[in-house]
Amino acid sequence: MSVIEVENLTKVFKIPQKDPGLGGAIKGLFAPRFQSKTAVDRINFRLDRGEIVGYIGVNGAGKSTTIKMLTGVLMPTGGSIRVLGRDPHRQRIDNAREIGVVFGQRTQLWWDLALIESLNLIARMYDVPPARYKQMLDEFSQTLDLGSLLKVPVRNMSLGQKMRSELAAALIHEPKVVYLDEPTIGLDLIVKERIRDFIKAECGSKGMTVMLTTHDLGDIEQLCRRVIIIDEGRVIYDGPIETIKKKFGKFREITFETTGLVPSLSLPPGCELLSTGDRKVTLRFDRIQTTASQVASAVMKQIEVRDFSLSEPDLANIVKQIYNGALDNGGVEPEAADARPAP
Amino acid sequence: MRALRRDLSIYLSIFGMTPKVFMAYQLWFWIGLVLNTIGMAILVFFWRAVYADTDSVAALSLQQTLTYILLAQIFFPLTDVDLIFDFGFNLREGNIIHFLLRPINFQGMYYVQNLSSLMMRLILQIPIAVVATLLFGLQWPTDPATWGAFAVSALLGFTALFFFHWFLACLTFYTTEVWGLGVLIFGMSLFLSGSLVPLTMMPGWLQTVVLSIPFAQAIAVPVSLLTGITPLIQAPLVWLTQLAWVTGMWLVSALFFRVAVRKVTVQGG
Amino acid sequence: MTRYLSLYWLFLTQRLKVLMEYRANFIIGALSTIALQASSILAIWVVMRQVPDLNGWTYDEILLVYGLITLAKSINHMFADNLWTLGRQYIRSGGFDRFLVRPIDPLFHLLADRFCQDGVGNFLVGVALVVKASVALGIQWTLLKALMLVAAVVSGGGIFIALNLLTCVTSFWIVDSVPVTRLVFDNHLFAQYPLTIYPKAINILLTWIVPYGLASFYPASYLLDRSLGNLAWAAPVAAALLLFLGYRFWQFGLKHYGSTGT
Repeated sequence: MSVIEVENLTKVFKIPQKDPGLGGAIKGLFAPRFQSKTAVDRINFRLDRGEIVGYIGVNGAGKSTTIKMLTGVLMPTGGSIRVLGRDPHRQRIDNAREIGVVFGQRTQLWWDLALIESLNLIARMYDVPPARYKQMLDEFSQTLDLGSLLKVPVRNMSLGQKMRSELAAALIHEPKVVYLDEPTIGLDLIVKERIRDFIKAECGSKGMTVMLTTHDLGDIEQLCRRVIIIDEGRVIYDGPIETIKKKFGKFREITFETTGLVPSLSLPPGCELLSTGDRKVTLRFDRIQTTASQVASAVMKQIEVRDFSLSEPDLANIVKQIYNGALDNGGVEPEAADARPAP
Repeated sequence: MRALRRDLSIYLSIFGMTPKVFMAYQLWFWIGLVLNTIGMAILVFFWRAVYADTDSVAALSLQQTLTYILLAQIFFPLTDVDLIFDFGFNLREGNIIHFLLRPINFQGMYYVQNLSSLMMRLILQIPIAVVATLLFGLQWPTDPATWGAFAVSALLGFTALFFFHWFLACLTFYTTEVWGLGVLIFGMSLFLSGSLVPLTMMPGWLQTVVLSIPFAQAIAVPVSLLTGITPLIQAPLVWLTQLAWVTGMWLVSALFFRVAVRKVTVQGG
Repeated sequence: MTRYLSLYWLFLTQRLKVLMEYRANFIIGALSTIALQASSILAIWVVMRQVPDLNGWTYDEILLVYGLITLAKSINHMFADNLWTLGRQYIRSGGFDRFLVRPIDPLFHLLADRFCQDGVGNFLVGVALVVKASVALGIQWTLLKALMLVAAVVSGGGIFIALNLLTCVTSFWIVDSVPVTRLVFDNHLFAQYPLTIYPKAINILLTWIVPYGLASFYPASYLLDRSLGNLAWAAPVAAALLLFLGYRFWQFGLKHYGSTGT
C-alpha cells in the first residue's frame, strides 16, 4: 500500500469579484459574483514508504495548494486523497499526528519563546513520550547543531538557525510523512548543504516519506530520485530525476553580445539558435556533441563579439520545454509547440 | 525666508496626506459612529437618572450638564494625539533614525501632522454632533464670542497636550509595551480631561489635582468656556494660564526627547 | 479533557515566562486596564457624592453592578483576547495554517496561544469592587448567593467569549472583523450601570439579545434581594446556548476556510 495516494485531485477556487468603494462592498455582500479558478486539475500520483519526491513547478502552478490539501488544511473540490489510509481533511487531527510540516516562509515556532520552550510545547501537543523526547533532543543537538540554540528566542535567530529549528520542530514527533515547502529558501550555499544533508540522513534512516516543494533544482538533485512537475494545476511529468537531468542537464545556453547587427549564423553540429535580439544572440548546445569553446570560436569567426555568458537552463525554462513537448518526441525544438499532447 | 517657505510647503503636504489615510477606513467610520452613540447614550441616561430627584447638582441644571458632557464628547478628539503609537512603531521598525536624519524639525513635523489629524477628526465628528442634537437634545451655544474664546482655548489646550504626549511618547524609548502605555494614557485622560464629569462637581482637592495635569487643558477648560460654566470675562486669564502650560510642556518635552534620543543613538536602540 | 487542561497549563507557564522577560510591559498592561476602570469609577464617585441614589441604587450598589461586569469581562480578557486578532494576525498572514496541521483543536490552540495579562488588571478591579460593595452593603452570604456569584462571573465570562467568538468568526470572510466585534462588544458598557436607568428597548437588548445584563445587573439584584434578581439564573443557560452557537459558527467558518484558504 502506498503512503500517499492521490486520485483525480482537483481544487477550484471561487474568487469574489469586488467593485470599488462602499457601494461595491455592500453590493458584494448581498449579490456576490464569483470567478472560478482551477488551481489543481485532476492530478494523480502515489508515494511509497521512504520515498523522497520533489514536487516542483513555477510560482502559481498549484504546488502549495496541493500541499495544503495533502496536509488537511484545504478541502479538495474533487478527487480523493489518502494519507496512510486516511482522508487528511475529514480526519484532520488523526492525520496531523502522523505528519510533519515545514512552511519555509512561515514559522511554526513561538516568536518570543526560547527554542527549547517551543519544542517542549510541540512535544506535548504530539504526545511524544518524555524519554523519547529527550533522545530526540540529544539527536538533534548533534545532527542540527541545536545545542547552542536551545536557549535562544526565535526572534533573535538568523535565517539558517530558524530553518534548523523549524526542522527540529517538524520532526520531533518522528512523523511518517513529511512535507517540506521551500526548506532552503533564502539560505546561503553552506547552510543549504547542511539542511540537505540533514534531511537526507534523518528521513532516510527513519523511512519517512517526504514531499519536497522547491524552486531550487539543487535541492531536488541531491535529495530526490523522483520528481513530479506541475504546471497550471496539471502534472506534466512524473518520473525519475535522471530523465530530466539527461534531457536538460546536457544542454547549456550561451548568449553573445555583438557590436553590430546579427547576420544568419552557420552553427556547429549539436548547436542551435534559441533567439536573436538587437545585438544579442542566444544559442543552445549539447555538451556531448560539442563544447562551449567550439561554439564560441565558431561564432567569433562570423561576428564581432563584445561579451558572452553561459547558463544552465532554469526551472521555468525546463517546465516550458516539457510543456512544449520536449519529453514526448525526444527533441527540444522550440517549434515542437505544435506537437504538444492533447490535454 | 526661503527656508521657511520650504518648511511650510513640506508641512502643507504632510497636512494634506492625513485625509487620504482616513478615507481608507469607511467601515470604521460608520461603526465608530454607532460606538460613539452607545457611549453618548450611556452618559445621557446616566445623567438623567442623576437628576431624577433634583433640579441642580453643584449649581448646574440637567440641561447645562448635558450640554457640557455632550460637547466634551464631540470635542474629545482634542485629546487624541497619535505620538505614542507612532513613536513605538517607528522605534520597533528602526525608522526613527531616518526621521532624525531628515532635514526638518522633527517635532514641528509631528505637530503639523497631528493638527491636521485633529481637523479631520473634528470634521468626522459632525455625524455624532447631529446625533447629539437630534437624539439627545444638545443645545448649541450661539454667541460668536464664546465660540471665539473656545477656539483659542482649544488650540492652546491641544498644543499643551501635544507636548505632554510628546513627553509620554519618549517613554517608548524605554519600554516595548506600546499598546499598554497607550491604553494607560487614554484611560487616565478619560477622567482627567474632565470629559465624564464637569470639574465643578468635584471636591476642591480633586479639582486641584485634575487642573495640575495637562489633560484638562484640552477639554474641561475650553468646553467650560464654551458652555458658560466659566464666564467669558475670564477668557484672557484662561488663555494666559494655557500659554504658560504650552511653554512649560514644550520645555519639558524637548528636554526629555534629547535625553531619550541619546539613549537610542548611544546604545543603538 | 485532562490532556487539554495540562496543555493549557503548559501554554500558560510558557507565556508567563515571556511576560516575566518583559516585566515592565506586564505591569503597564495591568495598570492600563486599571486606569481605564478607575476613570469611570472615579466619575461615579464624584457624581454619587452629590445625589443619594441613582434610580434607587446607592453608590455601593452601583459598584457591585460595575464590579460584576468587570469580573466577567476579565475572564474574556485574560483567556480569549486572542479572538480579536484572529483575522489580523492569523488568517491574513497565513499563520492560521499552523493550527490546522497540529493534532489539537484549532480553537483551543488559538485561545491558548496568548493569555492576555492586561485582563489581570480588570480581574483585580472587579474583585476589589465586589469585596468593597459586599462589605459596605453588609451582604448576608448564603450558599445560594455564593453560588450565584460564581455562576454570574463564569457564565458572564462565557457570554462575553461567545459573543466575541460569534463576531470574530466573520474574519474567515471579511478582511477586518474588529469593527464588527466592537459593535457587539461595546454594548457591555450599558451593563456597567443598573439597567433601570435605561429605556425599555435597551433593557430588552441587554437581557435578551446581547445579554451582558445577565452578568451584572441581574445577579447584583439577586445578591441584594431585589426584584428581577431571579432572572440571573438564566445566565448559565444563556452562556451555554451562546457558546454552543459560537462554536457551531466557528466550525462553519473553519469549513469555509477549508474550501477557500483565506
